[in-house]
Amino acid sequence: MSLLSEHDRQVVRDHLARIQHRVTLLLFTQTIGAPETALMARQVLDELASLNDLIRVEEVNFVLEKDRAAQYGIDHIPAIVLLSDDTDTRMRFLGAPAGYEFMSLIEAVILAGTEDSQLDPQSRALIAANVSAPLEIQVFVTPT
Amino acid sequence: MARESAHIRATCIEATEFMDLSRTFRVTGVPKTVVNESIEILGALPEEMFVREVLGLPEAESPPEA
Repeated sequence: MSLLSEHDRQVVRDHLARIQHRVTLLLFTQTIGAPETALMARQVLDELASLNDLIRVEEVNFVLEKDRAAQYGIDHIPAIVLLSDDTDTRMRFLGAPAGYEFMSLIEAVILAGTEDSQLDPQSRALIAANVSAPLEIQVFVTPT
Repeated sequence: MARESAHIRATCIEATEFMDLSRTFRVTGVPKTVVNESIEILGALPEEMFVREVLGLPEAESPPEA
Protein backbone atom coordinates (compact mmCIF):
# COMPACT_ATOMS: atom_id res chain seq x y z
CA MET A 1 0.00 0.00 0.00
CA SER A 2 1.25 3.43 -0.93
CA LEU A 3 1.83 6.08 1.74
CA LEU A 4 1.50 8.91 -0.77
CA SER A 5 -1.34 9.85 -3.10
CA GLU A 6 -0.70 9.35 -6.83
CA HIS A 7 -0.46 13.12 -7.19
CA ASP A 8 2.22 13.36 -4.48
CA ARG A 9 4.06 10.38 -5.94
CA GLN A 10 4.30 12.23 -9.25
CA VAL A 11 5.53 15.43 -7.56
CA VAL A 12 8.27 13.51 -5.75
CA ARG A 13 9.12 11.53 -8.90
CA ASP A 14 9.65 14.81 -10.81
CA HIS A 15 11.73 16.17 -7.96
CA LEU A 16 13.97 13.06 -7.92
CA ALA A 17 14.52 13.19 -11.70
CA ARG A 18 17.78 15.18 -11.16
CA ILE A 19 19.54 12.20 -9.60
CA GLN A 20 22.45 10.90 -11.67
CA HIS A 21 24.12 8.51 -9.22
CA ARG A 22 22.90 5.35 -7.55
CA VAL A 23 21.63 6.11 -4.05
CA THR A 24 21.53 3.29 -1.52
CA LEU A 25 19.53 3.75 1.66
CA LEU A 26 21.04 1.46 4.29
CA LEU A 27 18.42 0.83 6.94
CA PHE A 28 19.88 -0.44 10.22
CA THR A 29 17.28 -2.34 12.21
CA GLN A 30 16.84 -5.71 13.88
CA THR A 31 14.55 -8.69 13.38
CA ILE A 32 13.54 -9.32 16.97
CA GLY A 33 12.43 -6.48 19.21
CA ALA A 34 12.77 -3.75 16.61
CA PRO A 35 10.99 -0.51 17.49
CA GLU A 36 7.70 0.14 15.67
CA THR A 37 9.30 3.09 13.95
CA ALA A 38 11.68 0.72 12.14
CA LEU A 39 8.76 -0.71 10.17
CA MET A 40 7.54 2.80 9.43
CA ALA A 41 11.03 3.76 8.24
CA ARG A 42 11.10 0.72 5.93
CA GLN A 43 7.74 1.69 4.40
CA VAL A 44 8.91 5.26 3.79
CA LEU A 45 12.16 4.09 2.18
CA ASP A 46 10.39 1.52 0.00
CA GLU A 47 7.99 4.20 -1.21
CA LEU A 48 10.92 6.47 -2.11
CA ALA A 49 12.75 3.66 -3.90
CA SER A 50 9.62 2.88 -5.94
CA LEU A 51 9.77 6.38 -7.42
CA ASN A 52 13.22 6.27 -9.01
CA ASP A 53 15.20 3.35 -10.46
CA LEU A 54 18.50 4.70 -9.08
CA ILE A 55 17.30 4.45 -5.48
CA ARG A 56 17.42 1.19 -3.59
CA VAL A 57 16.94 0.06 0.00
CA GLU A 58 19.19 -2.39 1.82
CA GLU A 59 18.32 -3.57 5.29
CA VAL A 60 21.22 -4.21 7.65
CA ASN A 61 20.76 -6.30 10.79
CA PHE A 62 22.08 -4.13 13.62
CA VAL A 63 22.53 -7.13 15.94
CA LEU A 64 24.11 -9.61 13.51
CA GLU A 65 26.13 -7.19 11.38
CA LYS A 66 28.01 -5.34 14.11
CA ASP A 67 30.96 -4.71 11.82
CA ARG A 68 28.81 -2.72 9.40
CA ALA A 69 27.19 -0.81 12.28
CA ALA A 70 30.69 0.07 13.50
CA GLN A 71 31.85 0.94 9.98
CA TYR A 72 29.12 3.57 9.69
CA GLY A 73 29.16 4.60 13.36
CA ILE A 74 25.59 3.46 14.03
CA ASP A 75 24.62 2.93 17.68
CA HIS A 76 20.84 3.49 17.59
CA ILE A 77 18.04 2.07 15.42
CA PRO A 78 16.26 2.64 13.19
CA ALA A 79 19.09 4.46 11.40
CA ILE A 80 19.42 5.33 7.73
CA VAL A 81 22.78 5.83 6.02
CA LEU A 82 22.86 7.33 2.52
CA LEU A 83 25.39 5.99 0.04
CA SER A 84 26.19 7.57 -3.32
CA ASP A 85 27.48 4.93 -5.77
CA ASP A 86 28.33 2.82 -2.69
CA THR A 87 30.36 5.63 -1.10
CA ASP A 88 29.30 6.92 2.32
CA THR A 89 27.86 10.45 2.01
CA ARG A 90 28.17 10.87 5.81
CA MET A 91 24.48 11.83 5.90
CA ARG A 92 22.33 9.90 8.36
CA PHE A 93 18.81 9.86 9.76
CA LEU A 94 17.94 8.47 13.17
CA GLY A 95 14.29 7.47 13.53
CA ALA A 96 11.48 7.16 11.00
CA PRO A 97 11.58 10.06 8.51
CA ALA A 98 7.86 10.83 8.69
CA GLY A 99 6.04 14.13 8.25
CA TYR A 100 8.36 17.02 7.42
CA GLU A 101 11.31 14.70 7.79
CA PHE A 102 10.18 12.93 4.65
CA MET A 103 10.95 16.18 2.79
CA SER A 104 14.39 16.32 4.44
CA LEU A 105 15.02 12.73 3.36
CA ILE A 106 14.09 13.55 -0.24
CA GLU A 107 16.50 16.50 -0.19
CA ALA A 108 19.23 14.27 1.27
CA VAL A 109 18.62 11.67 -1.46
CA ILE A 110 18.99 14.40 -4.09
CA LEU A 111 22.23 15.59 -2.46
CA ALA A 112 23.48 11.99 -2.49
CA GLY A 113 22.42 11.47 -6.10
CA THR A 114 24.02 14.64 -7.48
CA GLU A 115 27.43 16.34 -7.21
CA ASP A 116 26.02 19.62 -5.94
CA SER A 117 25.91 20.43 -2.20
CA GLN A 118 23.48 23.29 -3.04
CA LEU A 119 25.33 25.60 -0.62
CA ASP A 120 26.09 29.24 -1.38
CA PRO A 121 29.63 29.93 -2.69
CA GLN A 122 30.33 31.81 0.56
CA SER A 123 29.42 28.77 2.67
CA ARG A 124 31.56 26.49 0.51
CA ALA A 125 34.52 28.83 0.94
CA LEU A 126 34.06 28.94 4.74
CA ILE A 127 33.97 25.13 4.90
CA ALA A 128 36.99 24.72 2.62
CA ALA A 129 39.00 27.22 4.68
CA ASN A 130 38.00 26.08 8.17
CA VAL A 131 37.33 22.35 8.27
CA SER A 132 40.44 20.22 8.70
CA ALA A 133 39.31 17.86 11.47
CA PRO A 134 36.24 15.64 11.97
CA LEU A 135 33.03 17.56 12.57
CA GLU A 136 29.98 15.77 13.90
CA ILE A 137 26.74 17.67 13.29
CA GLN A 138 23.58 16.41 14.99
CA VAL A 139 20.29 18.09 14.17
CA PHE A 140 17.37 17.29 16.46
CA VAL A 141 13.97 17.59 14.80
CA THR A 142 10.38 16.51 15.24
CA PRO A 143 8.11 15.23 12.45
CA THR A 144 5.46 17.96 12.79
CA MET B 1 27.70 20.47 4.60
CA ALA B 2 28.66 16.78 4.76
CA ARG B 3 28.56 16.83 0.96
CA GLU B 4 31.20 19.62 0.93
CA SER B 5 33.77 18.07 3.26
CA ALA B 6 34.82 14.49 3.93
CA HIS B 7 35.48 15.55 7.54
CA ILE B 8 31.82 16.37 8.16
CA ARG B 9 29.21 13.89 9.27
CA ALA B 10 25.60 15.04 9.60
CA THR B 11 22.83 13.18 11.41
CA CYS B 12 19.19 14.17 11.54
CA ILE B 13 17.69 12.82 14.78
CA GLU B 14 13.99 12.40 15.46
CA ALA B 15 13.97 13.91 18.96
CA THR B 16 10.84 12.24 20.34
CA GLU B 17 12.03 8.76 19.32
CA PHE B 18 15.40 9.17 21.02
CA MET B 19 14.60 10.77 24.33
CA ASP B 20 17.90 9.63 25.82
CA LEU B 21 19.85 11.61 23.21
CA SER B 22 17.45 14.55 23.56
CA ARG B 23 18.06 14.60 27.32
CA THR B 24 21.82 14.25 26.94
CA PHE B 25 21.94 17.27 24.65
CA ARG B 26 19.24 19.22 26.54
CA VAL B 27 16.92 19.51 23.57
CA THR B 28 14.15 21.87 24.69
CA GLY B 29 13.06 22.96 21.23
CA VAL B 30 13.60 22.03 17.59
CA PRO B 31 15.46 22.33 15.38
CA LYS B 32 18.42 22.07 17.72
CA THR B 33 21.88 21.50 16.29
CA VAL B 34 24.77 20.09 18.29
CA VAL B 35 28.31 20.18 16.87
CA ASN B 36 30.98 17.82 18.20
CA GLU B 37 28.79 17.40 21.28
CA SER B 38 29.75 20.90 22.41
CA ILE B 39 28.49 23.79 20.24
CA GLU B 40 24.70 24.17 20.54
CA ILE B 41 22.51 26.07 18.09
CA LEU B 42 18.80 26.47 18.79
CA GLY B 43 16.42 27.30 15.95
CA ALA B 44 16.81 27.71 12.23
CA LEU B 45 19.25 30.33 10.94
CA PRO B 46 20.03 31.81 7.52
CA GLU B 47 22.57 29.61 5.74
CA GLU B 48 25.73 31.67 6.21
CA MET B 49 25.01 32.35 9.90
CA PHE B 50 24.36 28.66 10.44
CA VAL B 51 27.59 27.62 8.70
CA ARG B 52 29.57 30.14 10.80
CA GLU B 53 28.00 28.89 14.03
CA VAL B 54 28.68 25.25 13.14
CA LEU B 55 32.30 26.07 12.33
CA GLY B 56 32.66 28.13 15.52
CA LEU B 57 33.49 31.29 13.54
CA PRO B 58 32.63 34.84 14.58
CA GLU B 59 29.63 36.49 12.97
CA ALA B 60 30.24 38.17 9.66
CA GLU B 61 30.57 41.94 9.86
CA SER B 62 27.23 43.45 9.02
CA PRO B 63 27.13 45.19 5.66
CA PRO B 64 27.22 49.00 5.81
CA GLU B 65 23.86 50.72 6.02
CA ALA B 66 22.49 51.59 2.60
